[in-house]
Amino acid sequence: MKRHFARQWQLWAMLAPAIVVTAIFAYGPMYGIQLAFREFDFAAGLTGGEWVGLKYFQQFFDSPQFWTLMRNTVTISLTTLVFGFIAPIALALLINQVIGVRRKRFTQTATYLPHFISIVVIVGMLQVFLSPSTGLITRFLENFGITGVNFLGDTSTFVPVYVISEVWQHCGWNSIIYLAALANVDTQLYEAARIDGASRFQIIRHVDIPALIPTMVILFVLNMGGVLNTGFEKIFLMQNTLNLPVSEVISTYVYKIGIVGSQFSYSTAIGLFNTIINFAFLVGANQLAKRVANTSLW
Amino acid sequence: MSRNARAPQVVRGRAAAAASVVAALSLVLAACSGGGDDGSDGEDPADGSPAELTIMVIKHPLTKPMAEMGWVSQLEERANVSITWEEVAADWDQKKNPMLAAGDVPDLIIGNNAITDADLSTFGSLFEDLSDDLDALPNVQALFEEVDGAESLATQTSGEVFSIPSYKRFWPTAITHQYINQQWLDTLGLEQPTTWDELFDVLVAFKEGDPNGNGQADEIPMDFAPVGTTGFGYFNPSALLGSTGLPISGGGGEGYFLEDGEVKNFFTDERYRDTVEFLHRCWEAGLISNEAFTQDYSTYQSVARGTGDEARVGFSWGWSGSDRFGPGVYEQYEAVAPLLAEEGQSAPVRWSYDFENLTRNAITMAADTRSKDAALRVINEFYSPDMSIQVLFGDIGPNVEQVSDTEFTVLPPADENLDPSTWKWTSSIADNGPIYLREDMEVELPTDLAEAVEDALPLEVAFEDFDVDTNVYPSLFIHMSQADISSTALNNTGILGVAMPKFAEFVTTGGATDQWDTYVSQIEGLGVQQNIDIMQTYYDEYMASK
Repeated sequence: MKRHFARQWQLWAMLAPAIVVTAIFAYGPMYGIQLAFREFDFAAGLTGGEWVGLKYFQQFFDSPQFWTLMRNTVTISLTTLVFGFIAPIALALLINQVIGVRRKRFTQTATYLPHFISIVVIVGMLQVFLSPSTGLITRFLENFGITGVNFLGDTSTFVPVYVISEVWQHCGWNSIIYLAALANVDTQLYEAARIDGASRFQIIRHVDIPALIPTMVILFVLNMGGVLNTGFEKIFLMQNTLNLPVSEVISTYVYKIGIVGSQFSYSTAIGLFNTIINFAFLVGANQLAKRVANTSLW
Repeated sequence: MSRNARAPQVVRGRAAAAASVVAALSLVLAACSGGGDDGSDGEDPADGSPAELTIMVIKHPLTKPMAEMGWVSQLEERANVSITWEEVAADWDQKKNPMLAAGDVPDLIIGNNAITDADLSTFGSLFEDLSDDLDALPNVQALFEEVDGAESLATQTSGEVFSIPSYKRFWPTAITHQYINQQWLDTLGLEQPTTWDELFDVLVAFKEGDPNGNGQADEIPMDFAPVGTTGFGYFNPSALLGSTGLPISGGGGEGYFLEDGEVKNFFTDERYRDTVEFLHRCWEAGLISNEAFTQDYSTYQSVARGTGDEARVGFSWGWSGSDRFGPGVYEQYEAVAPLLAEEGQSAPVRWSYDFENLTRNAITMAADTRSKDAALRVINEFYSPDMSIQVLFGDIGPNVEQVSDTEFTVLPPADENLDPSTWKWTSSIADNGPIYLREDMEVELPTDLAEAVEDALPLEVAFEDFDVDTNVYPSLFIHMSQADISSTALNNTGILGVAMPKFAEFVTTGGATDQWDTYVSQIEGLGVQQNIDIMQTYYDEYMASK
């Protein structure tokens, strides 16, 4: 151990700021988790309330909202996870096929620019484009006989609208890492494949995809850790009375109960429950990846 | 990436539970807001130089910076203080709770109910009890003596006075007024409707008769303000509940109302079902804007303002004609009386009773303020006649003309493109300020307010035989215990989570009558009766002590 530090101290010195930041901002605030098991009492401070055990968890599980919240959260996040995972891979493979450096760069830039638009603007754009009477997209769809759909106010279209806009916004950005992995593929492999008479699709299938698999697995495991983390801002901004039955998710509920309704203990318990589920998914996915693909985070 | 970002501001850590978000927010806020009151480390400086105060003001996004308001320097001079302003124009609810939980409060907080009774019952110890300082506050004392209910509004059940209310005696009883396009009626040769059925026929005629004469079917017969997910408010179609004789206040809120001394909730009331069915009938016939549930408030506002001098909307609700329909077309509209649900009904019509002239919790003082005397002087100054009028309407000079000590004239907007209410909100902190407009003051009102007062005349019929004591829940004067606030808030989150989407569903796809029993038992299962019982107990206590 001593020898290890003597030899590697430069590395540890470089790592130190990161360790300090993580300790202060990620682990430090975790002492607040105990609030989930206490009756929050302002006068006694964060750590002073009475212990109530699992009362707040019980309250959440018994709440009539529980199953609706779980269902909505899982639906929205799983669909986003699946499509948000596949789309960047497909896009990277496509961009990789574009011939000419300039054209390739242009395509890449055009697809990742939406990533930088703020969520408020995105939701504003959705509202303008999907407005039932004047919206650009609504009008366009009328040409194909699709009329009378209120995309933002219909319980059956809310999830697709959310997921499609999410994929559109982020898939260009998320594909960068796959493009990097593709750039690393030995050109000899392509040449050999071509000499053997492989078609484009065969090259993608037998050369490109195997090269992407390690990256895919790691990213998939990482994404699994956020399986119940739906984006708060976007859903909150997109909510209205018509779509509330499918758009009320754990994070918006925590906001309403906790920050607006001042039920700190209750919302901490819900948040903690959310985190535990995410953690379980992360560990599970990692085990699975280790066994199936022999790649894992730890 | 942003998909994983959770709470609005801080912390993206994977392990960040809501607790750590709250904790981190309070750390950040504590770190940011500590710096306001450097320099003054005790009571007023001995040499007579101004004491330093930090005042947080919760203002409207339109409102210009405090430093640009003329009355602010008058205030500093008269109270001999130097003020550091902290201005909050958005997301106050999110900022407030972490700030209070961290126990870090500026010397004074100004805003219309910025610190609510619920906050006071939880965080009361952070605020100064002003009940023993009234000698230093003659203007507040005058308010308590002259205005009925002001003192009990300010006083907690346990006797403390943590915050002072505002009183603006010119405000009409209701905020929501009802309008119809008279020019369209005249064009089509129709009379003003007096019942729901007549309204329906008029709306159909609006839709089909091309009353704005541009050859396009672009008329929107009926439009209302977007209905929130946490209850009804002003300019919502809940205004129609009055037709059935159901007395609501504040636009409806979370559904609770008082009828002949009995607390009820209209979400399970059959008269609500009938109203919803009528709205569905209108929706099905295409008479309600098909964006009514998805548009935001500014779209709702701009659509009604039409294009130039061509109106788009036939029937709607708003504060005043010019505010709702804009300078171009507002003259086409007339305020109309509450409609009857059906001809010859026995129930009298009602309207939403909104107490907006006496509003609670306009200013609060921190318990640990370092210059208590200076803070008291500032509070007292706010409630003086000429300061109040400037806080409400803007500076004497550009915004208000002072005729004599007690006579004032509010001037029209200096910017011709603005309507009077926008101008007011731009010039000063307006209704968000601590204000006392006394009985002996004579004020020539700005046109929007005069207009609102006039537009409220047709509503008088709804208040004629109206007994405020037994038909308006006195929530203003009721101070609940912390435990009751918590449990009612929790129940309400559940109830509204079901009731509001159901409202939208019933209006757009119908089924209120068929699904009524299932729906009612669902709402009842969420604790509506428990809340009613709690509210009834407080009401009975209040009436007994009155």
